Amino acid sequence: MTVEKVIFNTTKIDCTGCRSCATDLEADNLRHAIARLSGVSKIKVDEITGKVTVEYDNQKSSLIKITERVEKLGYKVETISREEIK
Amino acid sequence: MREHVKGVFLVILLGLFALAGALTLGIQAVYGHEISIILTLIAVALGYRIYLHGIRSLWHGNVTAQLFATIAIFISVVAGLVLPSALPIFGTAEAVGYLTAAAIVAFIILAGMTLEGYIIHRTRGALEKLIKMSPTTARVRRDGEEVEVSIDEVKLGEIVLVKPGDKIPVDGTVISGHSAVNQATITGESIPVEKTVGDLTFAGTLNENGVLEIKVEKIAEDTTLAHLIQLVEEAQEKKAPIQNVADRFTTYFLPIMAVLASSVFAASYFTLGFEVALDRTVTVLLVACPCALSIAVPVAVAATIGNASMNGIIIKGGTHIEKLKDVNLAAFDKTGTLTVGEPRVVDIKTFGKYSEEDIVKYAAIAEKFSEHPLSKAVVAKASEMNIKIPDPTDFKTIPGQGVEAHYGSKHILIGRKMMETAISEEADKLMGQVESEGKTAIPVVLDKQVIGIVVAADTVRENSLEAIQRLKSIGVKTAMITGDNMQTARSIAEQVGVDEYYAELLPEQKVEIVKKLKNGHVVAMVGDGVNDAPALANSDVGFAMGAAGSDVAVETADVALLGDDLTKVEYAISLSRKAFSRMKGNIVYAFVWNIVALSLAAFGILTPVLAVILAEAGCISVVINSALLLLNKPKPLAKI
Repeated sequence: MTVEKVIFNTTKIDCTGCRSCATDLEADNLRHAIARLSGVSKIKVDEITGKVTVEYDNQKSSLIKITERVEKLGYKVETISREEIK
Repeated sequence: MREHVKGVFLVILLGLFALAGALTLGIQAVYGHEISIILTLIAVALGYRIYLHGIRSLWHGNVTAQLFATIAIFISVVAGLVLPSALPIFGTAEAVGYLTAAAIVAFIILAGMTLEGYIIHRTRGALEKLIKMSPTTARVRRDGEEVEVSIDEVKLGEIVLVKPGDKIPVDGTVISGHSAVNQATITGESIPVEKTVGDLTFAGTLNENGVLEIKVEKIAEDTTLAHLIQLVEEAQEKKAPIQNVADRFTTYFLPIMAVLASSVFAASYFTLGFEVALDRTVTVLLVACPCALSIAVPVAVAATIGNASMNGIIIKGGTHIEKLKDVNLAAFDKTGTLTVGEPRVVDIKTFGKYSEEDIVKYAAIAEKFSEHPLSKAVVAKASEMNIKIPDPTDFKTIPGQGVEAHYGSKHILIGRKMMETAISEEADKLMGQVESEGKTAIPVVLDKQVIGIVVAADTVRENSLEAIQRLKSIGVKTAMITGDNMQTARSIAEQVGVDEYYAELLPEQKVEIVKKLKNGHVVAMVGDGVNDAPALANSDVGFAMGAAGSDVAVETADVALLGDDLTKVEYAISLSRKAFSRMKGNIVYAFVWNIVALSLAAFGILTPVLAVILAEAGCISVVINSALLLLNKPKPLAKI
């Protein structure tokens, strides 16, 4: 098993101004949607910057699979870094 | 997630105790200095997430309400700690007052944030329910043994065993057994559906009373349930156009507030002095939260889509909610939509000494092995009448004409065109009459003599009439569009009560009719989503019904009805109307609330604590009002 850690920027999660109430809803959705993909072991969504960090087993999932899911939810994805951590 | 909520509650509770203690001491005003420090610590501890958020947002170029709250609290704390030593007119009581306000404000914002977060999380409830229905294990038959394995390990083509009371773990086909299955998870319809060999089953539905063996066709992320969950998630992220109004407003809101706060400070400073100016500026910063405006719509959209999904309706985004609310004409496809789509035997005419049983029996013998829909209808009728059907000695199907068979010494002919027998005048007249009603007449000929006629027709769905009536009751006109002949169309149109109907249309002509109807109407087109995809695509809102299991249908439609219940068309429209009026109401309410609170703050009528209470109350009431859309329910169906 190899675990990969990938960090990417998503551009829909823009703060609309308030205490991120609306963003909470979106970030919550995004977090759940990625977490449910098989092989994903860790997920962090920063609601201020839109930065998403995902750790996944790359035999069960792939970067393409994850970004496809995120794009389907209406975000533009831009990969920042990708590394094998285990 | 839950751990996180618990943690926040704990902090709030501790904060409350500390605050109560500090206040009691504060009134005595004995330990002024110590209390100041305690209050400062409380304000910092309670609000650290707000400050972090505000400062980080600013770092990334965004001015947010958190930033305002941070500045307001910071000003209060500095005033409380520094001013007494800097300005001799400032007493300990004033200093403690500033610090108390800072701590209370931090506490209220934190409490409000937690409550909002909780409510917003609850709007995901519908989705969570679906996710919870996703099976985690399956009982698989391997090497003649039953083994329970994790759902990830089930392979396509394997046989899973489902006992009564168990969730069906996969999408597949029943290969043995018979049971009633509750498919409410998918279709929203709680009346169990009979499943037997050859029927499709869906993961996440409930097997009620029999043992089923199912051949696995789709697993894990490919099942209908998994697709559903993904669709709902995607839909909830798609904004409603009305959101743009609120967004545009909030974009300018905070910069304007910054200017307003500075002007209030300047104006008050020169007329009323430093202390008043400080107070009013802090108050303005605290009410300047566009929160209610920015979340009113997204929460309502999420709640509406969640509510619909619990009722077997997938509305694919906020845009469609806004379109649905305007629908004033619903056009239906006929075959398979308003009707069942398969012929059923509706009448049996007999001649001479033969009984109804005889007619059906001979017809069924001849048609027993034929795959034609009409043959299936006859065989189904026979088993419904408890008639045992012996095998024919031999049989042959003549395409487009009928069936010829032998049964012992008897010769059976079914179908009109191949009859060599002269039809009696009586039979001929009867058949003409049946056909003029839009039904199919199947003459049964035994040894060259017409012994009877089986009348078959496509029947209207149980709920079609009710569906049309409900639409009319909310002021939506109804129409039927079909490729079938005029007689059949008229007969069905009369039975279901549509306002108008169009018959004998080719698929491209259906599109033309839809375009014509759109002239002056907002048109919803309801069909199966496969054959009538072009008509659906050309309407304002395309509904695909019976969409569970058909990815194409779900893909094409703007709204997918997963079950066969057409009354859901009216529900989707009514729900959208309610949702939209609530979104609009919330925006107006939030706007007025903001203006009033700001005016009160600018003229010094509010204290900082009152201001923050007002801002939070406005925000929370809007969130609750939107989230309540989740509880909407369709009218129950009349029992038939």
